Amino acid sequence: MQKLKANLIEHINSGFRDAVAKDYPNENRLDFYVNKQCIPSILTYAKDRLGYIHLSHIAIVDWLEEGEFELIYIIWSPEEKIKMFVRTRVERENPVMPNIDMIWRQANTYEREFREMYGIQFQGLEAPEEFILEDWQGPPPMRRDFDTEEYANETFFHRPGREDAGDVREEIIKRSREEIPDFAKKYSR
Amino acid sequence: MREKATTLYLGPQHPGITGNMMIRLKVEGDTIVGATTEVGYLHRAFEKLQEKRNWLQSFTLMCRFCVPETDPMEESYARAVEAIEGREVPERAKYIRVMVLELARLASFMLWYGGQNGSLGLYTMGQWSVGDRNYILDLFEELTGGRVYHMYIWPGGVRRDLPKGFEKRVLKTMDYFEKRLNDYDDLMFENAIFKKRTQGVGIVDKEKAIEHGVVGPVLRGCGIRSDIRIDDPYEVYDKLDFIVPTAEGGDIWARALVRRQEARQSIRIIRQVIDMMPSGSVYNKIPNPQKWTLPKGDAYVRTEAVRGEIGLYMASDGGTNPRRVHLRGAAYVHAITLLEDILIGANIADVSAIMNSLGTCPPEIER
Amino acid sequence: MSYDKDSHKIFDFIQNWARKHSIWVLAYGTGCGAIEIPPTMTSRYDAERLGVRGAATPRQADVLLITGYLTTKTLKRVIRVYEQMQDPKYVIGFGSCTINGGMYYDSYNTIKVLDKYLPVDVYINGCMPRPEAVLAGFAKLQQLIAEGKANGAQKYKENLEWYRENQKRISPHWVMPEYNW
Repeated sequence: MQKLKANLIEHINSGFRDAVAKDYPNENRLDFYVNKQCIPSILTYAKDRLGYIHLSHIAIVDWLEEGEFELIYIIWSPEEKIKMFVRTRVERENPVMPNIDMIWRQANTYEREFREMYGIQFQGLEAPEEFILEDWQGPPPMRRDFDTEEYANETFFHRPGREDAGDVREEIIKRSREEIPDFAKKYSR
Repeated sequence: MREKATTLYLGPQHPGITGNMMIRLKVEGDTIVGATTEVGYLHRAFEKLQEKRNWLQSFTLMCRFCVPETDPMEESYARAVEAIEGREVPERAKYIRVMVLELARLASFMLWYGGQNGSLGLYTMGQWSVGDRNYILDLFEELTGGRVYHMYIWPGGVRRDLPKGFEKRVLKTMDYFEKRLNDYDDLMFENAIFKKRTQGVGIVDKEKAIEHGVVGPVLRGCGIRSDIRIDDPYEVYDKLDFIVPTAEGGDIWARALVRRQEARQSIRIIRQVIDMMPSGSVYNKIPNPQKWTLPKGDAYVRTEAVRGEIGLYMASDGGTNPRRVHLRGAAYVHAITLLEDILIGANIADVSAIMNSLGTCPPEIER
Repeated sequence: MSYDKDSHKIFDFIQNWARKHSIWVLAYGTGCGAIEIPPTMTSRYDAERLGVRGAATPRQADVLLITGYLTTKTLKRVIRVYEQMQDPKYVIGFGSCTINGGMYYDSYNTIKVLDKYLPVDVYINGCMPRPEAVLAGFAKLQQLIAEGKANGAQKYKENLEWYRENQKRISPHWVMPEYNW
């Protein structure tokens, strides 16, 4: 497998010089850190020339502290049996990404979801604006700075009783007239 | 004369639709000329909630992603946490996990038998197979305490050891199911209605399958041998002897043939696992859940669920909560783009059968 | 036939007795609770012996079974479906998430308390409720019907303004359909 991986790194680096490879020696996994502009070309190359025909996942992580989204395209080769991670970063303010749904049709679904949930625009994505949410007014909800609990408290009713359902140990102790053990005090909020 | 096209809304309240989703069909007479899916009726924002929970609390959310197969989701979560943390799993726990996964697979097949036949108007099969499924759920109840949500496979092993004599009861149930599967074949695969309604309907050819990246029985139904249990083995699947069935044609009939064989392979795997199961501990203790932190890193694990490969990407920033848990269910790839494609040309009555045969499960599309 | 107070009582009794033995449930799986409905309806638990069976369309159904959490998008459809149903009609809240939000208590997209939006006659708690619990819920509903206490539809009609206000709070831009029932 190490030979296959070295071969793969050589192939990718010959076409894309700024792709930085990171190897995970004990796993069948190989990471490439690339610029967001070369995403379509590197995926097309991997699919057509190297046999990575299966787009397994497009994952997204919101790195709020660094002001960036990370998109991870995970592709799989049935012959070489290696998972290739193509990772890229895009800024959180007005994020724009190239569109890859002409390479894999299913990427369309991921991109629609990311557009709605994270507010990332994909160039030339043809699909209706609304996907999962309906009549949504607030910011893209899956972004890390959106507080779901606060929104839920504002919008929905809560059945009373949840507020005082915190630590019931005090009440139980009162009833049974026992002391709280030291180890339990340590964990009570 | 060409008929005028009309729009027909199928769902969300429709008895034939597999779950809570809607398809906007454009029909000419009885023939579909265009289809648009609309999902989002089940969006609970699991991944958002998991960012607010600690590692153990988000594990309890995990099995609720998609309800017909809860165990593959738990398995994915457990393996992803173990991969980030480098936590070892005892050998016995691995075998128990495989047994539970295969039992869950069999239970889900029973539900599929009922759904696929119910969508074609053959209701006897539903009475049989969904009734028989209760025998597996009884086993789960004994093992885990729950019929549907088990929360049994967790990071570091499984929650508890098998009860006394449990293996014997599993084997007895498997004997029963082996007999019953033959009855199902007589009722289903010998049935003229079933043959006529499924052969040549809902065809997914090889090129389309690769272009859309479909997984699981749909891919195997068009003649491509692909199974994560063989290609990228996890737990102890590489030590077991089983075959991955395929069928040619890519229609509903071919997918049904694949599933029919797979149910038998599951029984075969369960028997082997019980035979090979070592003794020992089943669980490596996790630290205090409120203070349990994972090192910085990420992992991507894939599990072969009943409807195909599910992938779970997990990122940790070194804190007590997951940074990101991103699940891609098997239905995610084929329930929207592929379904919209292959519905064109079908009849209105076939929509339900096609959806059942693909294994469309809306809760894992929108999560 | 004279229509005095006593004969009205007998009429009510017969009517409730008949209603209680033909509870038709609308086949609308709104959430994950829909997974325990097939076992309840099929051979082992066989709910049909209580007169419980599925109905395909809202206008033929008596019971709206809310199987689990309701997202805001589904809630709109459920309200429409409920208003399309003919009297007599009952609502059963199925699962913990209809009672107090359950494990989705801080989710931005699911409602937490169902009876603020629709009149609920019976709640079945648990995640997931077992088929026995579902049957117990139906038995409880039958008992309420027999006693004439399952009057959720009446409550909804009388307090429509209050329900409408709560429903509007979910989605201010939603144009609600008007029914002349």
